[in-house]
Amino acid sequence: MNRFNFPDLGIGIGLRTVHYAHILDTQPDIDWFEALSENYLDTGGRPRYVLETIAERYPIVLHGVSMSIGGTDPIDFDYLRKLKELARGVNARWISDHLCWTGVSGRNVHDLLPMPYNEESLRHTAARVRVISDFLETPLVVENPSSYVEFATSTMTEWDFLAALAAESDCGLLLDVNNIYVSSFNHGFDPTMYVDAIPADRVVQVHLAGHANHGTHIIDTHDNFVIDEVWQLYGRACARTGNVSTLMEWDSDIPDFETVHAEARKAVAFRDLGNAAFGVLSGSNIKPLRRLTPDSRPPQDAKAVYV
Amino acid sequence: MSDLALAPLQKWMQAVVTHPGDVYEAAEAAAIGVDSVVLPSKTLQPIQRVGIYHGMYMLRMIEALEADYEVLTYTMGGHAFGHLVREYVQHFPSRSYTLNRLGDRLPEFIASSTLKRKTFLADLARLELAMTHVFEEAEAAPMAADAIAAVTPERIESLRFTPIPALRLLTFAYNANDVFQAFRDERPAEPRRGKSWLAVHRRDYGVYRMPLSQEAFSFLGFLISGESIGSAIMKFARRFRRMPEQQDLFNWFRDWSEAGLFAAIAITEQER
Repeated sequence: MNRFNFPDLGIGIGLRTVHYAHILDTQPDIDWFEALSENYLDTGGRPRYVLETIAERYPIVLHGVSMSIGGTDPIDFDYLRKLKELARGVNARWISDHLCWTGVSGRNVHDLLPMPYNEESLRHTAARVRVISDFLETPLVVENPSSYVEFATSTMTEWDFLAALAAESDCGLLLDVNNIYVSSFNHGFDPTMYVDAIPADRVVQVHLAGHANHGTHIIDTHDNFVIDEVWQLYGRACARTGNVSTLMEWDSDIPDFETVHAEARKAVAFRDLGNAAFGVLSGSNIKPLRRLTPDSRPPQDAKAVYV
Repeated sequence: MSDLALAPLQKWMQAVVTHPGDVYEAAEAAAIGVDSVVLPSKTLQPIQRVGIYHGMYMLRMIEALEADYEVLTYTMGGHAFGHLVREYVQHFPSRSYTLNRLGDRLPEFIASSTLKRKTFLADLARLELAMTHVFEEAEAAPMAADAIAAVTPERIESLRFTPIPALRLLTFAYNANDVFQAFRDERPAEPRRGKSWLAVHRRDYGVYRMPLSQEAFSFLGFLISGESIGSAIMKFARRFRRMPEQQDLFNWFRDWSEAGLFAAIAITEQER
């Protein structure tokens, strides 16, 4: 359990328009949904109706892309007010957004733009996260981004920055293990160091997703199945956090609901194994994981992987 | 290496990422060299790394507007529409936390452009924008279809109507709705000059288009601007130099009530 007592919601998937009819018609056996906040603000039409209907049956978490936590424009309190109202309306279990900025000078680029990791950024971002959490009256949950550039002005690693941010602002963390993998490839660091350095008691949720490997770099496309290396990172994270709310993101070339749900359900085995290891192993002495089978399923004796 | 502070770094990066040219032109236009701000990776030079964000920015803008303006995109062709979006976002970049508002000024941008067929294209854009707005408007239950029938005859003229929020009235110089419908039906259609009138509304979370005659459009316009039935009849008479036909009025109110265009009716005291 995390220090905020946010519950383990189990295995969920991102709520996407193409699955609305299936969910409303069949009420599938799934633990929870994550909804993209901005899709449900300023709308009184079908999206809001669908979200409210689904929220009557399933736990909902709100996940945003426009909070611009690291931005240097003033905090948009109009946005936060609407977000807070939405969260109350659907009984959101928590609210998350990204460690990034999305635009300056009043503009929104609608991208999760990277931060330089240094003391100035840390002080600036931590102060904003505190203000945002106070306004929302709940600890904000901050997700590590995927990124394609590193700045010359950075003086610390992303994981050190994230850990310091969490400590200084008392926020929760949404650990996106696919983002860790993507950034580790693009920037050339060991992703296990990242996972091992994260303050486990602040991890409220984990994200899983697929990506596109272009050889020279990886783009975080959310348009594919999770690769083995990311599953391994997930298992490693679970060994540190214990059971943790886990969500599969699929945002482009989205297959049918059952395919996305089945991919998400693969997490159960890794989660259980990680949970078995939780409490036995500390983050600093987890051994490197063996490669898993090509179809991403843990082997029958997979427990041996973790002990 | 640059020792850019956070705020100027963000301004620098935004300027490069949103530059309308390619990333090399963006880098040339930037006040500080890319190599001073961004580190290379083992496989990519700094400008290639920034180029990932630069390339994705315009793709995202185009994809967002293609979704909102599907028929306009088809009518113009993808390449021409992409070019239009490149120009548009230089004048009207997103200033909202949602991409849903990005296209709000595209119809006026087209109308003021030098595009061939700009009047027709602006008509089509206004139709698709109205559909987007109606889709997102606040929900309000329509009044009962027989609500008017419950009003005593001597009070009918004093009736005022509150429209549902998800209702827009549109006038076109071209047959924009016909072209839109032809796209939906997967059949060809040519733009034809000639005024047309349309109500776009939502019912049970579905968006509908209701073609109107000029007379019906005018009368409905009077009502949703707050005129009572009696006042709307007088305005109609002044505009068309005749009274509305009783059968027309009956048909209009039947159609509008069945479509759920009104949320409520009221009788004002001074007109009772």
